[in-house]
Amino acid sequence: MPDTTAKTTIELRILRYCPSTDTEPAFGSFQVPYSDDMSVLQALQEIKATLDGSLAFRWSCRMAVCGSCGMMINGEPKLACNTFLRDLAPGPVTVEPLQNFPIERDLVVTVGDFVKKIESIYPYVMPKVPKTVEEGTYLQTPSQMEAYASFADCINCMLCYAACPQYGANPDFIGPGAMALLQRYSSDSRDGGQQARLDQIRGEDGVWSCTAVGICSEVCPKQVDPANAVNQNKSNSALDFFLSGLRKESVT
Amino acid sequence: MSERRPYLRPQPRTWWAHPPYRAYTIRELCGVALAVYGAILLAGLVCLARGPAAFESYRAFLASPLSLALHLLLLAAALWHMVTWFRILPKTMPKLVWHGKLVPQALMTQAATLLAVGCSVALLALVVVVGAWS
Amino acid sequence: MDFFNADILVLGAGGAGLRAAIAAAQSAPDMTVALVSKVYPMRSHTVAAEGGSAGVVRADDSLDNHFNDTVEGGDWLCEQDVVDYFVGHCTREMIQLEHWGCPWSRQPDGHVNVRKFGGMKVERTWFAADRSGFHILHTLFQTSTKFPQIRRFDEYFCVDLIVDDGRVQGAVVLSPATGEFTAIRARAVVMATGGAGRVFRQNTNGGIVTGDGMALAFRHGVPLRDMEFVQYHPTCLPGTGILITEGCRGEGALLVNKDNYRYLQDYGLGPVTPEPRNKFMELGPRDRLSQAFWQEERKGRTVTTPQGEAVLLDLRHLGAAKLKERLPLICELAKSFAGVDPVTAAIPVRPAVHYTMGGILVDIDTASPLAGLYAAGECSSVGIHGANRLGSNSLAELTVFGRVAGEQAAAFAKAAPAADARSADQARAIEAKALALLQQNGDGERHAALRTEMAVSMERGCGIYRLGPEMQQTCETIAQLKQRYQHVALEDRSRVWNTDWIGAIELGYQLDVAEAMAHAALARKESRGAHQRLDGFDKRDDANYLSHSLAHYQEGAAPRITAQPVKITRSPPGQRAYGALGEQLEAARKDATHA
Repeated sequence: MPDTTAKTTIELRILRYCPSTDTEPAFGSFQVPYSDDMSVLQALQEIKATLDGSLAFRWSCRMAVCGSCGMMINGEPKLACNTFLRDLAPGPVTVEPLQNFPIERDLVVTVGDFVKKIESIYPYVMPKVPKTVEEGTYLQTPSQMEAYASFADCINCMLCYAACPQYGANPDFIGPGAMALLQRYSSDSRDGGQQARLDQIRGEDGVWSCTAVGICSEVCPKQVDPANAVNQNKSNSALDFFLSGLRKESVT
Repeated sequence: MSERRPYLRPQPRTWWAHPPYRAYTIRELCGVALAVYGAILLAGLVCLARGPAAFESYRAFLASPLSLALHLLLLAAALWHMVTWFRILPKTMPKLVWHGKLVPQALMTQAATLLAVGCSVALLALVVVVGAWS
Repeated sequence: MDFFNADILVLGAGGAGLRAAIAAAQSAPDMTVALVSKVYPMRSHTVAAEGGSAGVVRADDSLDNHFNDTVEGGDWLCEQDVVDYFVGHCTREMIQLEHWGCPWSRQPDGHVNVRKFGGMKVERTWFAADRSGFHILHTLFQTSTKFPQIRRFDEYFCVDLIVDDGRVQGAVVLSPATGEFTAIRARAVVMATGGAGRVFRQNTNGGIVTGDGMALAFRHGVPLRDMEFVQYHPTCLPGTGILITEGCRGEGALLVNKDNYRYLQDYGLGPVTPEPRNKFMELGPRDRLSQAFWQEERKGRTVTTPQGEAVLLDLRHLGAAKLKERLPLICELAKSFAGVDPVTAAIPVRPAVHYTMGGILVDIDTASPLAGLYAAGECSSVGIHGANRLGSNSLAELTVFGRVAGEQAAAFAKAAPAADARSADQARAIEAKALALLQQNGDGERHAALRTEMAVSMERGCGIYRLGPEMQQTCETIAQLKQRYQHVALEDRSRVWNTDWIGAIELGYQLDVAEAMAHAALARKESRGAHQRLDGFDKRDDANYLSHSLAHYQEGAAPRITAQPVKITRSPPGQRAYGALGEQLEAARKDATHA
């Protein structure tokens, strides 16, 4: 029986695309030295340093907190830095840019659209009770923190967007990550901006593209549970719809 | 002039047929079973309105092996729909915090499942008791 | 080439850059702030800070305590007037972050909680579990989106400053996405580009921490101060260098060697108590703990792992519940990167390069000697860290001096004239130079190979303990690498997302910064804080070296090193001691002041 642990190299099949020379993406293959503690990111770095300096990918912290190195590894959205070759041996390992995003070059995808979505939902505290620094901090009990804590852990890695078929079908859908951030602020006891945010997420491009597939929460590397954020806001948005009808009637 | 030319890979048309989305697709399709069962009940009502002969043929259909098989299939689909929906139930609810700690989602699913089973058993018991009376 | 006119240009969008941009936008709402970052702001390396941020808040604490801890921790190489300003403004910045939404960990009654940290006499480290930097960065980034006058340039890489008429007038930036250049003209520039830890091999830093801003200011004649002081963080994963926060020890973690012996007691940090006390044992400062590891390794008392020698950080006695509440990230990191669950096993750790104490010379107002150029955060040397930074002082520094830099830059910009017309020619020359590197046909050497050689050499010459001949060798190696750098060849000629090209430019920055570090280290013939020599200069020498080092850039030659006096206002240099001796000395000092 062949001993896979004795394997000294592993094959990475990487989807390459360079707009200056290629009309469409195509796979390239690389053999890299294999070791048990090596991450896919380290394998990519090895390729870039010794085999092909033109390979393009984003990375920085190497410890799953900066959110740069999201990519499709064997078809699943993953952070390259905390996906290990030992779990993928004997290979080959397929590495592609994040699904559902336009490819800029090799493993680099367009991020700007996602960042615009984040910016659109008022991602900051709109104080319920304004306070000066001299007046000290707000009080917030551990229970009140729990209401938004998981949503505040989002690292903006966009894996949830790569997993979301509704985002794939409608790129204008605000998507799981931005909704997690929305819920992070809207469920913060210091915040009073709930209505302003609800006004941003009506309709098809708001929460209503979501059909509760739920894969976004499964692929999340930080247990943020964006599916919960989206679906809580479906209820909130529906309630807001009826209440706003009532408000209008009471005005007239 | 920049050489930038972003390339968008379209989402495969059959994404719903492949893992990890297949489970979701099956869950949603099982919802159709409930509609089919509703249609069967509706057909019974229509037959009832048309008179005794029509209703009798409806009853005969219900007793046929084909109908029994269909109902078993529908029951299985409905149960699966329930199980999977309860699994994502916690995703659709506000977070529950108990004494400063989040209530685990698995616990919420278990409680909901237990409640559903309890209700079903109670309903069944009611049917049996009422049936025995009449 | 595009041109963009701003009033204030902030280079770097980590904690310091974002805080500066917000402060500038608040103090001059009618001005345009261009905020340039080579990554999306939330990827900036502030994100990786774990333990927390200092700010006096407890009734049993005082600003004097924070001042004394910082100055003693820095081995009296701190600018004491700056430290006074710093400690006086930390807490209000922490409150400001709280108002902006930072999820600081709380006590049951809803008040903010603080934890113990190394070298700090009283608990004063505000923390958001063990993701403090992450939460600070995201809070600042998200808050910054409130200000329409902040015009962000996300993923724009700075290739050079525009300097004319004796003042900085902007910068030329490259967009990796398009390969096109933009000249951003501004009346004031804030440098907030972070540290340079990546010039070493084993480090806790992200790939982006390449000293860009330090090198750019340096090349334009701004001295780099105290570059020899590079902090080794004592508890990092062997091999990868991933950071295992000091917050672990703040929560009560113990450090043991292969014999399960708390070895720190052998290095002047005892006596041993079951839970470490402030400024004793595991809660000693980082330089001392890293040095103790080095000694243990020499004595053969470390644990051998496949990734090298290590000691053990034991958290088991804290229990699963507390670990999950206070140190969730550490649990996750230990499991995935070291295969160890801290609930059931000790984590193998060793020192790795963590922080650049030195940086761009600036005064208490964050102003550099180059008119219009301000600097804040790790890239700067405002003077609070001295020869060794205390954990949790750097996140506080980002906010305190980030705000100062933003406000000062805004004030400067109000008074300064607009950029002059010549800046366009200079911008085009900068673009041409960067494009020449892209087309360079060298002898085929990859810059990655040079980078590795640099990092290995820095580790050998400028590590935890240093020797004259080894430092000399490192200086020579860096000089040779700079020669070879002139001939590197790129494999990638595309303009779009050419990370080969950007990596090569970054290596140029790294080599300049590394050279400043090595030469400053060679010139300091004493041992102080993080700079420890074993070649006859193993004592602190206040008579000759109670002074900052300044490295001055010289085109085509090694940097010139000069000395700058240290500002001492109220704490004369004393013996720096921790553990029992530290306590005795403090008692004696107290008696002396009461007498």
